[in-house]
Amino acid sequence: MAAVIEVSSLGKEFGGRRVVDNITFSVEKGEVFGYLGPNGAGKTTTMRILLGLLAPTSGFARVLASDLAVDDRARGDVGVLMENNGLYERLSARENLEYFARLYGIERPKDRVSELLEFTGLQDRSSEPVGTFSTGMKRKLGIARAIMHEPEIVFFDEPTSGLDPEAQHMVRELILDLSKREGMTVFLNSHNLDEVQRICTRVAILHRGRIRALDSVRNLVRGGGKSVYVVTLADPAAGTAAVDILSSAGGLSEISAEDGRVSMSLDSLQPHEVISLLVNGGIGVDEARREARSLEEIYLGVMRQAEGDVS
Amino acid sequence: MRGVLVVAEKEIWQLLRSKNVLVSAVLFIVIFGGMTGPAMLAGSDADPVQVMDQLLFYLVLVLGVFSAYLFTGQVFLREKQEGVVETLLCTPLSLREIWLGKVVGIVVPATVLSYLASVIIVLVGSAVLGTTVWPSPPVILHILVVVPAFIGAGAGLIGFAQLLLGMRENQVLNFAIIFGLIFLISFTQAILGPSFSVTWGVVAAVLALAAVIIMGTAWLTRVLSRERIVTTLPD
Repeated sequence: MAAVIEVSSLGKEFGGRRVVDNITFSVEKGEVFGYLGPNGAGKTTTMRILLGLLAPTSGFARVLASDLAVDDRARGDVGVLMENNGLYERLSARENLEYFARLYGIERPKDRVSELLEFTGLQDRSSEPVGTFSTGMKRKLGIARAIMHEPEIVFFDEPTSGLDPEAQHMVRELILDLSKREGMTVFLNSHNLDEVQRICTRVAILHRGRIRALDSVRNLVRGGGKSVYVVTLADPAAGTAAVDILSSAGGLSEISAEDGRVSMSLDSLQPHEVISLLVNGGIGVDEARREARSLEEIYLGVMRQAEGDVS
Repeated sequence: MRGVLVVAEKEIWQLLRSKNVLVSAVLFIVIFGGMTGPAMLAGSDADPVQVMDQLLFYLVLVLGVFSAYLFTGQVFLREKQEGVVETLLCTPLSLREIWLGKVVGIVVPATVLSYLASVIIVLVGSAVLGTTVWPSPPVILHILVVVPAFIGAGAGLIGFAQLLLGMRENQVLNFAIIFGLIFLISFTQAILGPSFSVTWGVVAAVLALAAVIIMGTAWLTRVLSRERIVTTLPD
């Protein structure tokens, strides 16, 4: 697979403050790549550098093997949905789309606009000013605008921010549809962990300008390739004793106990060995199973570790 | 060039939808063109044709530039305030094409308004004097060619500054422009003096000045960068 986004040793400073710090990653064609991080982590700055809106202080960023800051034509293969939708409130939905269709040099713009209005279900209100639309409708129209010219890559900045659950679901379905049916590469800036887990194939977790985790969602929720094993104890009060026994055994990591449930990553021990250790130590076991962690747990763990590294 | 025309057409279309701004511009032109000009004509002992020429020479130009200033607020500043310009910067258009398209989109309606101001001044002035007073040929050329060129120069320079500066600096700029234009309307005739007459040479000189401003601003757009615009967007 060819990398359509390449970022190497990327750094960006504003007035001596390092906002993006030595970031390296790549995104392959057809991927839905999630770029996660809290507010101020440097997500939007990275995206702006990729889009050629900001110049990097160090390193480089290439999209479709081009620097979008200088390559006007390459920007024609990229779609963008910023937080503000990029729409003109006094123009109608159709006028907005036709304007961008003409800017991108689309042949027969009216046909393409009608197609997109139907795709987003906005054809009935196509002649009304966008200023009268709900937040969800504007978002839909913003997505239609971003994919108007059938770009190879689409950048989304917090696409479901401020939307109600129904509209969030609709936007997620649209993005998944673009990736699966149209084969578009999607770069998704978000701090909505549930959304990222549902639609992204790979994620980078950013903290204070640095990438703290970079892997497929599948690997991350499985504990970086290691199995996460959860044992439910017969006596919920025996958690501390169980952690002591397992910690001294070796072959396990990330052992923690909460409400009678002990979770751990299996490094070299097998599940039956874990149960034997506990039973031989006089601790009863009700249930034991492999379990995937949620992206939220991974994210919070990465954030805690990153905060620890910083302090 | 296609991109420039697409942007220009959209700006004109959007300005026509901006009722508040359009009404403000038309009112300004009707009030100053219909009242200030004829008042000066009525209060002057000089040759009416010469006074009319003077009025049309500077008042139409100032009113046209003022209309352009009003429109730059909609075309450049509002787009920046709302953050839509960031999306526009991601299209295949160059920064100069975007800037030029917007300037053309301002020049067309502002020129129409300046022509309207000329007609008002001539009609009301003639009514005040009791006889039809036609402007001289150099003044007609000035209105048809130099005024649009100056509108372009003004719109280009103000739009460039609005893209370059942050929101607070833009507020200061707005005050400076408003006071500058009011000063021009109030004192230009006094500065020119009663003996000033509009000749072909004067018209050529003013046209050259407009061309210099346009070329200078086009050159200045090289210092304008996507980063400068994005980093001066409001939070």
